[in-house]
Amino acid sequence: MADEERLSLDAVSSGYGAVAVVRGVRLAVRSGEALAVLGKNGMGKTTLLKTIVGLLPLQSGEIRILGASGAPTPADCVARGVSYAPQDQPLFQDLSIRDNLRLALRSDRLLAQALARVVAHFPFLGERLHQRAGALSGGEQKMLILARALMVQPRLLLVDEISEGLQPSLLERIAAALRLEVSRGLAILMVEQNIDFALGVAHRWAVLERGEISEEGASDAGARTRIAARLRL
Amino acid sequence: MLLALDILSTAAILFLVALGLLAIFGVLKIINFAHGAWLTVGAYCAVLAARLGLNPWAAVPLAFVVGLTLGGLAEILIIRPLYRRPLDAILATWGLGIVVGQLITLVFGRDVQFAPALLPGAWRIGGVEYSAYRLFAIFAALLAGALYALMFETTRLGLLARAVIMNETLARALGIDTARVRLFTFMLGTGLAGVAGVLLSPLTSVDPNMGVAWLIGAFMLAMVADASYVALGLASLAFGAVQVLVSAYVSPVLGGVAVAVLAALALRLRPRGFARG
Amino acid sequence: MAEAHSPLTGLRAPALFALIGAAAVAAAPPFLDAFASNVLTRSMLYAALAVTVDLLWGYTGVLTFAQGAFFGVGAYATALMLTHLGATPALFVAALALAIVLPAALGALVGWISFYHGSTPLFASVISLVFPIVATQLVYSGGAWTGSSSGLVGYDVLPLEGEGFFRLAGLLLVAVLVAAWVFVRSDAGKLLIAVRDNEARCAYLGLDPKRIQIALTAILAAVAGLIGFVFANASSVVAPENVGFVFGTEIVIWVALGGRATLFGPAFAAIGIDYLSAQLSGDLPFLWQLVLGSLFVVTIIVAPEGAAGLARRLWRGGTAAPPRLLSLEAAPRETKAGPLLAVRGLSRGFGALTVLREIDLSVKSGELLSLVGPNGAGKTTLMRCLSDGREPFRGEIAMGGQDIAGRPPNRVAALGVGRKFQVASIFEGLSVADCLRLARASHETPSAWRASAALALPAPCVEVVKLTGLIDQLGAPARLLSHGLKQALELAMVLALEPQLVLLDEPTAGLTKGERTLIGEVLVKLTAGQGCAVVLVEHDFDFVREISSRIVVLHQGRLVMDGTVEDVANSALVREIYSGGGHG
Repeated sequence: MADEERLSLDAVSSGYGAVAVVRGVRLAVRSGEALAVLGKNGMGKTTLLKTIVGLLPLQSGEIRILGASGAPTPADCVARGVSYAPQDQPLFQDLSIRDNLRLALRSDRLLAQALARVVAHFPFLGERLHQRAGALSGGEQKMLILARALMVQPRLLLVDEISEGLQPSLLERIAAALRLEVSRGLAILMVEQNIDFALGVAHRWAVLERGEISEEGASDAGARTRIAARLRL
Repeated sequence: MLLALDILSTAAILFLVALGLLAIFGVLKIINFAHGAWLTVGAYCAVLAARLGLNPWAAVPLAFVVGLTLGGLAEILIIRPLYRRPLDAILATWGLGIVVGQLITLVFGRDVQFAPALLPGAWRIGGVEYSAYRLFAIFAALLAGALYALMFETTRLGLLARAVIMNETLARALGIDTARVRLFTFMLGTGLAGVAGVLLSPLTSVDPNMGVAWLIGAFMLAMVADASYVALGLASLAFGAVQVLVSAYVSPVLGGVAVAVLAALALRLRPRGFARG
Repeated sequence: MAEAHSPLTGLRAPALFALIGAAAVAAAPPFLDAFASNVLTRSMLYAALAVTVDLLWGYTGVLTFAQGAFFGVGAYATALMLTHLGATPALFVAALALAIVLPAALGALVGWISFYHGSTPLFASVISLVFPIVATQLVYSGGAWTGSSSGLVGYDVLPLEGEGFFRLAGLLLVAVLVAAWVFVRSDAGKLLIAVRDNEARCAYLGLDPKRIQIALTAILAAVAGLIGFVFANASSVVAPENVGFVFGTEIVIWVALGGRATLFGPAFAAIGIDYLSAQLSGDLPFLWQLVLGSLFVVTIIVAPEGAAGLARRLWRGGTAAPPRLLSLEAAPRETKAGPLLAVRGLSRGFGALTVLREIDLSVKSGELLSLVGPNGAGKTTLMRCLSDGREPFRGEIAMGGQDIAGRPPNRVAALGVGRKFQVASIFEGLSVADCLRLARASHETPSAWRASAALALPAPCVEVVKLTGLIDQLGAPARLLSHGLKQALELAMVLALEPQLVLLDEPTAGLTKGERTLIGEVLVKLTAGQGCAVVLVEHDFDFVREISSRIVVLHQGRLVMDGTVEDVANSALVREIYSGGGHG
């Protein structure tokens, strides 16, 4: 896959009704690159993701996804190769792991290959394909969500606070899977509160404060301090 | 023995009649009050087949196709615009039922028609003579249930339906075309209703309002069963038994309402129906 | 602001209508032929029934098919008494009494089955369908006693001629319309719309929406029975069709076509359609039904507010003058010794997932406590447990010394708990003033016929109304308010309850900086002066730091820190939690 811009936001504002939660955001992610958006709760991170995916209407500005512009719908995004791993209500608890993964695809044609690929990232899923998704632990469910998002071999992945509530060993497994996919050309926009996890995956970062980007930079040695200062902790 | 066969065949008929409604209730979360009209349409397909001199069994696929087509039109024109107003959608289906009933009256007239017997005569089973057709009904219900289960649990449409039943918002967020799932489910439900109508036609008199009597019992069963066809089978058996026993030992008229009253009580005790055991 | 007017001026229009209507009904008979007179007598009775269905469905949101059956029960009760017992004046009175009391009792029963905590509107509608079916079958199974399928006929009726019955039916219709009209514009009448728009908010304001629905069902069933009594006399034949659910659905169709929540629309639709049906029944019965059915479907899809509703939208009449705002003296509050809120060992799980673990918390009056923590820490679940005793939690929660376990939201609110939701939960179909007045309904029973010209609210509530600018919008419809004003209105409604403990779920979400400061001021004033306590869930740490007297930190369901602003804000633990360092 050629090096290209997979996602770009220009002066994007959105929110709920008349209220603008996200204001004038400008960012871009290229293939083979991961960008982390950090910020405290209520600062607009989830709103930003929902706007990109089309679950919330765009109030102003422009979004370009994989070269096409305009406000997408969730179905659009899936068709174009954009995967979204949301924070709330992520799985069908009463369906099997296999069925949950199967639903990510539009048809059963390439099911076997896609399953093989995600099971390579998370072998435990392969051993428990017919188990109820609800029987998995919290951390395992998060990995299933990620696996589901990777089923379609997306070109752009949007992740909402996947690290939340997970212990370090699981975090490392997820980070490894993400890094591997990025090296294969995937572009990732991840929303996070866990600074260390984010810096372990992303090449660049931006801090969202009150709906606006207050600072950004590369994931170098001084990044952690700068971000922590920004989040005023 | 006779009583047991009565119970089984009554249960089978209840199951067949309610199956189409169950599918629609589970996925679309509304009650299709026009269900009685679809039953009637199916029965009149049997009448039509007889008039055209066709093999009476040809009415079954005919009714399925007719039910499917009309159902598709109804979903697109009437149900879909009322997606956010479920109570109004139910009312609109009632209006549709009235319209369909009147159209049938205009075409076929008000008189009672008789549909040909699909399987005349009686068979000997377990030491008694019993209506062959009612025995066939038991078999038909089992077959329909098995096919439905197969479709629901293994096919892709079945998987999509299960997803929409569990969490429609999530399904849509995953990019599933929930509008199409609703459409196909509705069409399947009305097609099944048409077939049930054909199967009902040898048992009851066929007139433009015959479906209404079955409507209430059918949707009470569907509500008790929630979206589970297994629960529907069990409920049909339980309520069928009550209906037969009350009719036999108390009064036939009260037997008719037994299903409705029992279902109302059941729902009051367990509002979500009995699907989750 | 308009000058105050006496509540009686609002009654002028209904009174005028009553006079004109009665006069018209009294004068009409000589101008009508016998056929028209007979049909219209019946149509007017049906119109009165349609008004009752409008009250239930249009105003209260309860789609009912049972009013026809209650009418039928009243008619049958009358006919049965007149057939089997005779027609002396005493028996007429007895029949009238039975025709009212029996449907009322059945209405209460149907209401009790249909409306319970957690019941859905669909279930209520289904029960309202089952009742007429059962009633019909009971009539059929009554054999010769009830006349079975042919009904009861030929019994002695009230000694009135056709003209007399016409006038009686007409007067009954006028009376029902006037009573409904007066009730609907009264303070208590607004309760119907509140229940229809937002049952949960009613419960959290200390009202019991289920009881209101049951009472309404029983009362209107009695009215239907009364109409049935007149019908049994006027038509001298009562048949199972008068009880059946088909009749019940016909009434619903008239209301839908005439216009929901307009009273007059359904009445005119009933008269028009019934009269036309009688005229056309000879010529084109099926075509007429077809047209009606199609019109019904189209109306529901395209114009759900019906004919009168459309007319109302086109003709924009003058809006009522906003009421005068009065400030109430705070009720003297007995200060209890112990804490206001005492939580011990609170745990709550959803299946395998534990959301709250062994929470111990106690809140005294005058405290402004902020509840903070990352997403998923259990904050909203905690708020839910504190305001709804029906949540299946383990442990103890006591409000003012009283255990709240098992208490529904309205009874927890009665203990002095007011809850404000994250998404403003108000009554979109009412004006701002009406919303506020209804918030007082659990303290002062609203009048069933008066529409108050003044609005008396507790001082802190008045302060919020003035500070936020709501005072200029008292007459405006609540649904047209901006997001920030809706939040302010909900806060004012909660304060109108005079709560001792105010629970706020993200009160600053979506507010501008100015609005945030305002709300902060209000909350500080509340705890300082009025002796209440405030517990709020917030993500905006700056806001929290500015106004709180105490901060409690929740993390993965556990209460990990509880202290002053300085202690908590500067602690390493909080820093860790918010930067994601803490692991579970």
